[in-house]
Amino acid sequence: MKLLTHNMLTSHVKGVTKGYPLLIKATEVKVSEEEFNPNFVSRMIPKLEWSALVQAADGLGHLQDLPTELIADYEANEDFLRKVHRVLLEVEVLEGCLQCPESGREFPITRGVPNMLLNEEEA
Amino acid sequence: MEPCLENVKAIRRSKEEKKLLRKQIKASHTLLKHEGISTVSKPTKDYIISLQSLVVANGGLGNGVSREQLQVVLGEGGDVETLIMHPHKPYALVTYRTEVSAQRGHVLLNGRQLQCGDQVVTLYLSYVDTVDSESGVCAVLPPGLVLVEEFVSLEEEALLLDAIDWKSHDEEVTVQKALKHRRVKHYGYEFRYDNNNVDKDKPLPGGLPQACVFVLERCVRDRHVKVMPDQLTVNQYQAGQGIPPHVDTHSAFEEPILSLSLGAKTVMDFRHPDGRSVAVVLPGRSLLVMKGESRYLWTHGITPRKFDVVPACDPESPVAVTSDFSNHSNLTLSRRGTRTSLTFRNVRRTPCDCAHPSACDSQQAPPSPPSLPRSQTDACRLEAEYVHSVYEEIAGHFSSTRHSPWPRVCHFLSSLEPGSIVADVGCGNGKYLGVNPEVFAMGCDRSCALVQICSERGFQAFVSDALSVPLRSDICDACISIAVIHHLSTQERRQAAVEELVRLLRPGGRALIYVWALEQEYNKQRSKYLKETREQAPPDDHNQETRDSPVKLSVHTNRTAFNSQDLLVPWHLKDGGIKKGGRVSKMTKDPPIDTKSPVLAPCPVFHRFYHVFQQGELEELCARITGVMVQCSYHDQGNWCVILEKTRDR
Repeated sequence: MKLLTHNMLTSHVKGVTKGYPLLIKATEVKVSEEEFNPNFVSRMIPKLEWSALVQAADGLGHLQDLPTELIADYEANEDFLRKVHRVLLEVEVLEGCLQCPESGREFPITRGVPNMLLNEEEA
Repeated sequence: MEPCLENVKAIRRSKEEKKLLRKQIKASHTLLKHEGISTVSKPTKDYIISLQSLVVANGGLGNGVSREQLQVVLGEGGDVETLIMHPHKPYALVTYRTEVSAQRGHVLLNGRQLQCGDQVVTLYLSYVDTVDSESGVCAVLPPGLVLVEEFVSLEEEALLLDAIDWKSHDEEVTVQKALKHRRVKHYGYEFRYDNNNVDKDKPLPGGLPQACVFVLERCVRDRHVKVMPDQLTVNQYQAGQGIPPHVDTHSAFEEPILSLSLGAKTVMDFRHPDGRSVAVVLPGRSLLVMKGESRYLWTHGITPRKFDVVPACDPESPVAVTSDFSNHSNLTLSRRGTRTSLTFRNVRRTPCDCAHPSACDSQQAPPSPPSLPRSQTDACRLEAEYVHSVYEEIAGHFSSTRHSPWPRVCHFLSSLEPGSIVADVGCGNGKYLGVNPEVFAMGCDRSCALVQICSERGFQAFVSDALSVPLRSDICDACISIAVIHHLSTQERRQAAVEELVRLLRPGGRALIYVWALEQEYNKQRSKYLKETREQAPPDDHNQETRDSPVKLSVHTNRTAFNSQDLLVPWHLKDGGIKKGGRVSKMTKDPPIDTKSPVLAPCPVFHRFYHVFQQGELEELCARITGVMVQCSYHDQGNWCVILEKTRDR
């Protein structure tokens, strides 16, 4: 699960109103090189919840020098876009779980795949 | 928390290195998926315990790599302390004497190609993190199983092989079919694969071949069986052919079941319902006697393979191939040749009263056929049994048949703005996730097995239900749901699925939905599904709901027109597609192309629930949802399709 995906995921446990963002508890994280596409990164940024991204990266120990606030005029700032690219697409959680911030319910991540299925009672 | 900077260096890698890394990662994922071995490409103190142990992916007995060959190659790194090569496995585990040797081995051998017979094998090395202990493979034969070696002599074997008349088959079986499926012939009584039983009132003329009589007499004389068998099934397996795991129907035959192996040796796998498995080598000219548990409870099958791992020297007692380390130095590869089995059985005349009712069709009441659900709970239960668990069982085979993305779906995806966020709800094996690399696509599916396939292919995917997708509202520029909603068993649930897609869309975003159409022929064009059609199924009124009784779901005949909207559609699982210990609803023959074709190898059948849509039904459903507009609707290859837009003001 990449952090870009994590930024979109939310807890959908019945009755929960503040299910976002999910807390990441990782036991295995992988960093791999992905081709940098500045236009793609630029287009993703407005769709992100920036603080959730920073929180997630930090929690994994991969925040490095990513700014905690979104900077202005990022489209032309290649240096910044590279930092965002790394955090969004190159950091992957392979094993661990995602935790609902309100209910505490944990969703396991196995071999990079989060299992978000709810039981009949929780749906 | 200290960041692990060592792993995050931005190293400029050459194209070759990147390719190697990709393949290594893929190999690692496969190892993890199939073997429970978790690896890392670089050792750091945080990740692994031993800096001396490596897994050599593709360097296994199961790949055709011999111990001698691998030992030499690994020796280039330094002194090898231990080399473990489990039988059947596609990898080896090596522990070097020193960390330095391990490092050198890793550097020198990662990506190394080996010539093994007529194949080239590429080795990928990774440091081993953890290895799941294997679930019990016992060295003892299943209870009731006896193997008698050299039951017939070489001359007798030749006589028997000569006596089997395959001629009448060759006229009817095309070359293609002969290559795909093992050949089968019955004597005495016909074994029917559609009901897994014998036509006890219609014995075949001619009885058992005269040439076999001496075998039967020998079996009686040696007290392997009390009464002369009256049914014979001959199976011929070429290398690469097998038979899926099964228990011979209790009500059809008594015990013991006797199987004489002629020609090449093979390995037969026995599995207990609790997961234990035993692999038994069946040498040529041996007689296998299955009694008790081995006949009534354990399944037996032959994995379609071209090589087996067998003991190097002839054992004194029948050998079960084990993972016991002490045996691994005595193993060698054996290329399969053609094997013919003669299975002799006694037809059972009274119901079976064995001690294993869980596997017994005489003692178990047949499951009642499902009916259309009338509550949410019933709907969930029906879908759990007739959709979700089926896809879990068939995932591998299903994925292999889903490789060509449909052009109009591709067009929808390709015409999206670069940088769009797309959700594929019910993504299956991820067929559409890579179509447009300019967008960010996420797939979700109810089947863990299918989602794992997506992940292995490098896509972002998670496991979830279509009725409750764990994504933020208004986040998607587009959604697709291809051949998904027709699996929901009530109108309310189908509508809820579309509402969920709409929730995910941003205002102005669009969803593409495909569902199977009741009308397979449209504008005088027959869909691909119908094109290989045979005679139409007769109309039935199984689906007339009476006042009190629920509507029974009928089973559809594949590749014919649908004659009701709610039905069960069979999936015939092909050889090798079964998960370990997979549950099978029944064994039946492949649907024949014409009525004269011979009985083909049996394969398990799974039933999937479908509600096929009538013309206009999907649009009507969308019209009931507020805040959406149907942009267009069309018929595409047997599907009704809509493109929905979430309106900007709601």
